[in-house]
Amino acid sequence: MFEYFYHEILRRTIISFGSLFNNIEIKHLDSSDDTVEIIKVPLAYGPQQKFLARLEQSPNLNKPVQITLPRMSFEFVGLQYDASRKVTTTQTFKSHAVGVTTAIRKTYMPVPYNMAFELSVYTKLNDDMLQIVEQILPYFQPAYTLSVNLVETLGEKRDIPVVIENITMSDNYEGDYKERRSLLYTIRFTAKTYLFGPVGDTASASRDLIKRVRVGYVQDDSSTPTRDLTYTVVPRATRSYDDNVVTNLAEDVGTTTNILRVNDSSGIDENTYIVIDNESIYVDRKEGNTLFTRRAQDNTLVASHVGGAAVNAITDADDALIEIGDDFGFDGTLL
Amino acid sequence: MVLNPFFQQGSPGEQSLVQDLINEQLRMYGVEVYYLPRQYITKNKVIREVIQSEFNNSYPIEAYVDNFEGYGENSVLLSKFGVQATNELKLIISKERFETYITPLTRNLPNIELATRPKEGDLIYFPLGDRLFEIKFVEHEKPFYQLQKNYVYELSCELFRAQDEILDTGIEEIDDTFNVEGNIRTFTLVGSGTTATAISGRVVSGAVNQIIVTSRGEKYNHPPAVAISSAPTGGTRATGISTLRDDIVNCDGTLIGEKVQGVFIENPGSGYIVNPGIVFVGVNTNPGVGAAATTRISDNTVGVVTISDGGGGYVSAPTVTFSAPGGLAGLGTTAQGIAVVSAAGTVSAIYLTHAGAGYTVAPTITLSAPDLGGSGEFIPTETVQVANNTSITAVVKTWNSVTNELNVSNVTGEFKPGDTIEGLESGASYQIRIAEDDNTVNKYPDNEEIQLASTDGILDFSESNPFGNP
Repeated sequence: MFEYFYHEILRRTIISFGSLFNNIEIKHLDSSDDTVEIIKVPLAYGPQQKFLARLEQSPNLNKPVQITLPRMSFEFVGLQYDASRKVTTTQTFKSHAVGVTTAIRKTYMPVPYNMAFELSVYTKLNDDMLQIVEQILPYFQPAYTLSVNLVETLGEKRDIPVVIENITMSDNYEGDYKERRSLLYTIRFTAKTYLFGPVGDTASASRDLIKRVRVGYVQDDSSTPTRDLTYTVVPRATRSYDDNVVTNLAEDVGTTTNILRVNDSSGIDENTYIVIDNESIYVDRKEGNTLFTRRAQDNTLVASHVGGAAVNAITDADDALIEIGDDFGFDGTLL
Repeated sequence: MVLNPFFQQGSPGEQSLVQDLINEQLRMYGVEVYYLPRQYITKNKVIREVIQSEFNNSYPIEAYVDNFEGYGENSVLLSKFGVQATNELKLIISKERFETYITPLTRNLPNIELATRPKEGDLIYFPLGDRLFEIKFVEHEKPFYQLQKNYVYELSCELFRAQDEILDTGIEEIDDTFNVEGNIRTFTLVGSGTTATAISGRVVSGAVNQIIVTSRGEKYNHPPAVAISSAPTGGTRATGISTLRDDIVNCDGTLIGEKVQGVFIENPGSGYIVNPGIVFVGVNTNPGVGAAATTRISDNTVGVVTISDGGGGYVSAPTVTFSAPGGLAGLGTTAQGIAVVSAAGTVSAIYLTHAGAGYTVAPTITLSAPDLGGSGEFIPTETVQVANNTSITAVVKTWNSVTNELNVSNVTGEFKPGDTIEGLESGASYQIRIAEDDNTVNKYPDNEEIQLASTDGILDFSESNPFGNP
């Protein structure tokens, strides 16, 4: 029943959340309002392996000071199902598989989850704290939306609102002198993300590409109709997918001529298509190394070509390599 | 008089004897620590706090370590803000020694709030373990009025929390405590640049020596490929590389994508009899339209330029100079070219903008020198600044003349690659090659990694990151 899958959605949301706060600066001014220091507030994901932290942050055991401030850390602290965003479970959606142009991928609708985050800010000076908080809060009204590429294999981008929930301010300046003052603000956020299940992969093009379309016309309405006319259309490649260079142009070609001279026409058949640069050209007939053609086929633009330009032949091999999403030279939007 | 007049309850002589005995004990059983008074440079009003402090002086003093059994257990803890050491120290110093030795020396220092007693906020450098402690509390009545007087101060200390304080006592073992802590930035400077060299041949007949863009076209999202007619049999086909620019506005005021700026000649080819045709072939989808160019051919031009030594330390592209054509004086055209600099600071390619004419021998090619390395050695705690810009300064933490890495803190502006950085005290002067944003010395900050991870296919920032990209 269960198969392995891992889209790294939670990790991606954590990184996206962190990237909101990784470029906050604070500035110190002296009494004459000149800048005496600009600090980019260090940010890190709070939880980490204990031995790694010790190794990295106090490699020679003796830590000369307690800590360097200011610092910010963020942490993923909770996960809760969000019923208000639930959609029908049986719905699926399909997508071109990213990177595999001959396949379609399919998945069921995701399940909505709220990820709880805590952003903690620790500073030595109250002034620093106020600078940091004031640079964060105006962006959340109360949500700031991130566009996250949640499932890479589907290329599925979702807008994830990050909603500010509450702010806890802690400044324990009171009390005896055994405890030092420690300024710590904790801002809680909720990221409304979606968790996707396994993605079905139809890797083979043969199952998903329409290879032939047949339309039958029937004249009468008898109970046993027979087709009077049948049209059959086989899609053909309009590009040279296999980059099959059969020859080169023997001379420069302008945009007005239909007669092309090539170095060797033996690899080009009559009544086939060739592609030079980005222009698709139909070869009506050939005489020796001279081709009599129709220019600018399949919605391509007529263009000049220089002598020596590669001539690609479109063959059956290209038909077999047609990619999903190919519009076969038709314009219009592919839905 | 309510007390018994026949008992003195501590005469000055007795008090002085006790003080002397205590001083002697401290000298015998104590540890030599350094007392660093805080100099308050900038104080914030209303929200009362010192936002800028300096510790420029240190005074050795004997102190008895009260917690002689050590710091106590579990003094290092992992918090959400990284590893924190919470070591605490209780030191006992002589009251008399402080008042007769440290007070007179610190009284007249600038920006000292109080010099008569050890005070909270000052630092103690504890040599055992090379640590810096901050005084949290000064207890002055313990033991309680022996012979009607107090003789010692008990200093409750905890490890210092660093930020951007300047520690410049002149004693290296104290000043280097801060080398790995604090908000540090690292610059890699151009150590020793070497000039790149290149050679080229000569094309005797029929080379493309110039490509003139006649129409820039529009809507290019990627530099189009350049196709040049092949040369007649026996010749070599010329090749070129196009470049784009995006700041040209059409006559009607519209700005339509990027346009072709120019075409560099990668290989001038040979054997052409007439000017070959040239077309731009768009790459990718929506490749752009309309660019056109013409070519010129000439005999005796410069051939393909080969880099014989990429050099090093280049921050920007050097100028490329070709020797003038030989032959009759005043005849021929000198070739021109441009260089491309790799991320590593070497020259990776040289292209021709004009292949020249009239060369009777292969030209010699001269590339301008990079910043041939800086000079001098930076001194820790000195101020450095961007050349001729007093508003962008920093304070040197460490300088490694082998790796050319300079660690600085208290940065007041943006140091960019290519800027020349000068030491105000040492006179050292180097050019910046790489300016790290993150603190790479103290391993806590992860800002850059988070940014890199998020831009690596996770976040769609077509709407831009409101917080900017670090």
